[in-house]
Amino acid sequence: MSFRRFLLKRTAIAAVLTLIAVSVIFVTLRLLPSDPFSGLVASGSLTAEQVARVRAMYGLDEPIYVQYLKYIQNLFTFQFGISLTQQRPVGEIIVPAMMNTMVLLLPALVVTAIVSSIAGMYAGWNRGSWFEQSSIVATTVFRAVPIFVTGIFLLIIFSYGLGWLPAFGMRSPLANPDGYVETYLSVDFLKHYILPFTATVLFYSGDFLMLARNSVVERKGSEFLMLHRAKGLSDMEQLGRAGRNSLLPLVTYFALRTGMLFQGVITLEVVFAWPGIGRALVQAILNQDYPTVQAAVFIMALAVIVMNLTADVAYAKLDPTVEAGDV
Amino acid sequence: MAGSTLDSDTAKDRLRSEFGRAKHTLSYVLKDNAAKVGFVTLVAFVFLGLFGPYIAPYHPIEDTLRQGGSMMRLQEPGGKALFGTTSFGKDILSQFLAGARPTLIVGLFGGVGTGVLGFLVGLTSGYFGGRVDELLMRLTDLTFALPFLPMALVILSFVTPSVWLITAVLVVFLWKMPARVIRSEVMTVKERTFVKSARARGAGHMRTMFLHVAPNVLGIGFLYTAYAVGWSIVAGASLAFLGFGDPTTTSWGRMLQQVFRSGAIRVAWWWVLPPAIGIGAVTTSVFLVGRAFEEIVNPDLQTEQE
Repeated sequence: MSFRRFLLKRTAIAAVLTLIAVSVIFVTLRLLPSDPFSGLVASGSLTAEQVARVRAMYGLDEPIYVQYLKYIQNLFTFQFGISLTQQRPVGEIIVPAMMNTMVLLLPALVVTAIVSSIAGMYAGWNRGSWFEQSSIVATTVFRAVPIFVTGIFLLIIFSYGLGWLPAFGMRSPLANPDGYVETYLSVDFLKHYILPFTATVLFYSGDFLMLARNSVVERKGSEFLMLHRAKGLSDMEQLGRAGRNSLLPLVTYFALRTGMLFQGVITLEVVFAWPGIGRALVQAILNQDYPTVQAAVFIMALAVIVMNLTADVAYAKLDPTVEAGDV
Repeated sequence: MAGSTLDSDTAKDRLRSEFGRAKHTLSYVLKDNAAKVGFVTLVAFVFLGLFGPYIAPYHPIEDTLRQGGSMMRLQEPGGKALFGTTSFGKDILSQFLAGARPTLIVGLFGGVGTGVLGFLVGLTSGYFGGRVDELLMRLTDLTFALPFLPMALVILSFVTPSVWLITAVLVVFLWKMPARVIRSEVMTVKERTFVKSARARGAGHMRTMFLHVAPNVLGIGFLYTAYAVGWSIVAGASLAFLGFGDPTTTSWGRMLQQVFRSGAIRVAWWWVLPPAIGIGAVTTSVFLVGRAFEEIVNPDLQTEQE
């Protein structure tokens, strides 16, 4: 199978998956016992006619298949509708939240991918060493402990115990920055950034370390390294060659992890009151703000599907032994 | 040897050899120091899960501790309440002891359910290949695409969460992990000569699948079941922390949710530490034991040791 056909097939599968996934989300949300407006009638704050008007405004009075088609059309044109509780477009809520999540997670992911991969390669090269054992145990601990528990520990030590760093949100209550640059480039922001950033780095370090370590261990006995040794390359130079050969799983794993970005650390965002997409989703669910829930879940699903596709393609492109035969 | 039934001697023999192998594996895993610590922690945890509610000095929810007529709010450890009290005057030691059980139930049943379902799907998919494989693998792709925690939150927001329901939701979303790994293992095993010769001697698909292929991927199956126990505990605790846990029971995740929501997290370290350390210790132990086991099961890591 040529690369072009492979790409086409994968893309088609991803498109169909997206469609099925959003349909499942639609059905799940329509399974909800009542829409949030019926509560308003019961409490007497709206008359039945007013509710009917509001329902018509949100298109809830139309037959279910019309609602479904409109829903699909709106999602794929990124028209998420109006929030039920905040009276403004869902996009205005979701987009800044996405930015906040990305600003927190992308740098954390990149840092941990680089640092722990290098540490992992070194560990795998020195198998059985003190460094290998202790780095594995340490990162296993941080990988295993739920991220919000790590967050809580950081919080009670560095915020409440020592009082070094703020515990809540992304900026101090008095700061009122304008635009992304002012928001993200200030000392105040940095102070709020350190703890959630640290928790994320620690959490993700384990996977990259183990992957890098395992692939170096797998390559250690291989013949091309014996050749390098026979050529008289130093230990570090040999590790460099082995490391380069271990990059493939790391690259794919990085792509997959990036796809999980938006849904990965919902609990951490709640612990640090970080105004990201995960926290927005939890609040929207608690407030029964379904347009926002829909949009957030859709974005999370889409990110996974797109990044999975990227990982597949990157794998096929990078690995010379894959002739894209078995897909 | 053409029949599809097993005579009892063969069955006993197989069981005995499997049992011996398991014992051997366990002793090998426990050579690893970290795994040893993990194993002891897990035994203690299972003990707490089974007997915790009975050794708790007070009822975790119903008993309110009082001293001289007033409720003991946010009492530091000591005296009547060995681990201190919550802001509602409940005994934290009792909550900690009782809270192990829901955590154990979700972890154990969620993990085993995930392992078994994933194993069966992976085995079927890898063994039969073709259309069956295509269908099952697209299904796993779909569960990968649906974001787990958000979907679980949505589902649990309109049904009353119970421990068993949460366990079921976890299994529905987690089985894909073992399924994929088992499938790829099965695909290599089924090409080996002994499988082909079993088929050639007239063994049916079921017999070949379960008696000849399955035992060879059982190790990986157990490994992923162990990991699934860890994932389930993490997921269950996360849901409880976000306020979507079973409202009628005390779990460690729910304790953390209460201390966080009440704002007592600023001062009441004695309320935070027991559940936080509990969750952390148990999940860490699961993964430490799992990792030591992986060193044995994963054939790629068996290169020469210098």
